[in-house]
Parts: sequence; C-alpha cells; structure tokens
Amino acid sequence: MNQIDEEYLEAEIQRLLTEDGRVAEQGITVQRREHAVVLLGDVESDQRRDEICRQIAEHFPELAITCDIGITRAQAPSEVEEIS
Amino acid sequence: MIRIAAVGDVHVDKDVVGRYRPALEQLPYRADALLVAGDLTRHGTVEEARCFAAEFGGLAVPVVVVLGNHDHQSDQQSRVAEVLTEAGITVLEGEATVLELHGHRLGIAGVKGFGGGFAGACASNFGEREMKDFVGTTEVVADRLAAALLSVQVDALVALTHYAPVPETLVGEPLEIYPFLGSYQLGRAIDSAPTSLALHGHAHHGSERGRTPGGVAVRNVAHPVIKQAYNVYQLLSDRTDAELAGVS
Repeated sequence: MNQIDEEYLEAEIQRLLTEDGRVAEQGITVQRREHAVVLLGDVESDQRRDEICRQIAEHFPELAITCDIGITRAQAPSEVEEIS
Repeated sequence: MIRIAAVGDVHVDKDVVGRYRPALEQLPYRADALLVAGDLTRHGTVEEARCFAAEFGGLAVPVVVVLGNHDHQSDQQSRVAEVLTEAGITVLEGEATVLELHGHRLGIAGVKGFGGGFAGACASNFGEREMKDFVGTTEVVADRLAAALLSVQVDALVALTHYAPVPETLVGEPLEIYPFLGSYQLGRAIDSAPTSLALHGHAHHGSERGRTPGGVAVRNVAHPVIKQAYNVYQLLSDRTDAELAGVS
C-alpha cells in the first residue's frame, strides 16, 4: 500500500462499515496503529461483530486487525432517574 | 408520578429478536410507557419492521416511537410505519399523542429530526440548492415539532426525536460530525413549549445527559450509550411531593 492509499484508508474503512448493506454500522470507531487497525464500538449481535471483522479482513487483506467490538447489553435497568 | 422507559438505536433484525424481550416483559413493573427514539431497524425494510414489531409489540404498556435515519435507508419508511402501526405501536412524525396514566395526561410529540449543527458551527439556508434543501429540511421538521408540542394540553410533555437537540449529549463523538447528528433548531422548538423532557438517540458515542438553553432536561437514550435494554425516567414526582408538603 503506498503513502497516498494509506491516507485514505480510514475513510475507505468507514465507508465500508456504513454503506455496505451487510454491515450498515455508523457507530464503529477505527483507530490506526503503526501496522494495524483497531475497531472499537458496540453492536447488537455476535453475528454483526463477526461480519464486520470478516468484511474488513476480506477488503484489506494486508492489514492486521484487532476487533474490540462488544455486544451491547440488554438487561432491564435497576434504577430510575427522577427528572426535575 | 409517571415513569417512562426509553431506548433508541436498537437496530432490530432477525438476529436481535429475543434479546430485548426478557427485559421488555418486565416493563409493567417498571414503567407506564415505552418510548423508542428511532433507528428501530438496520436498513428500514418491511421484514426488519416486522422483527421490531415482534420484539417491541404486544407489550402491556403503550409503545410510542419515531423513525431514525436507518429506518429510511430502503425508502420504505411509510410501509415500515404501517407495519408498526398494525402491531399497535404509535409512530409519530410531526404529531403528538396523549396517554392517560394514573390520572395524569402525558403528551409525547415526535419527529425524526435532522442535522445542521449547533450555534456557532451550523449550516445556513444559503447557497446551492442542495445546501438550502438540507437546512430547509431541518427548519420544516423543527417547526412541525414545535407545532406538535403546542398542540396538546397535558400534565407532562415529552419531545421524542432521533437527532439531537443540543450538543451536550454528543460529547464523545468527533466534533466534526456534530452537524450530522443534530440541530439547535430542534432545541429551539423544544424550548418553545412547556416541555418536561427531551429524548433522542443517534449518537452512539455521545453522552447521556444535557439541557436545552431553556432548561429542558435532554437524555440521549441510544442503546450503546445507556448500555441496558431501556432507561426509566420519572416525571411529575416533584410537583406531587411539593403539593403534599404544602398541605402538611
């Protein structure tokens, strides 16, 4: 990957995450490290997290990817906030 | 006292059906109504709307929603709204609904909203047609929200949007994308009425709490922000307590 492509890499990843219908996530943060990309955020299911990592690996095979995407918890709350 | 459960950005598809249901089944013990602040689905398809209706419909409390930008992705938002309405879910877009709860009237006015930015860093209705359309859309939507808020006589009034009305609840998002996450015009609409609480979603990396310039409490209830099935907010408790204190 040449220097110019490197500059546009983050934008390309973000486009893939949002505009690819298999992903359609706007809430994933892409962090560049020297020889790797770290994906951060929360999604609604294991399948969605795995699909994100699969798509990024497929489109950018030369990148080392760390997938720190979590699954948002869906338990009932234990507290109430009083609005005044 | 009224208790409102709220969440946004649940992005339901068939892989999510069943995840929320155990917590939703507990709603009657925790809240009087459930409000959902848009992005009900992933791509806004009719099939996904049916998944949302299966997961969030048929509850023992009223469910009131607005659509989000994801719910417009397939250009089927009208059909999506129909599917939800058929499932007994109230879909608001420029309207208000009134719920009678424990002798109180709770008004909920809702719009999806739109972007544009916030005071000092916002787009203007000027220049190219595309830019005027963008800002003009927000202006129209904000006017509809103000009219909806003022259309009901209630004890407590809630504004429900997908896009944010204040920048405080966006803290955590990159500053550069604030204009795509909300608009001060929504905040101005909320401040033009006796609003008790404003609920929104959309900003997954934002913050939970904010306040409009007019003093209305704002809560970002995007699921990745609240990190549980829903939050519960209590309204009208202060007034009741104050009245009781006055009597004694």
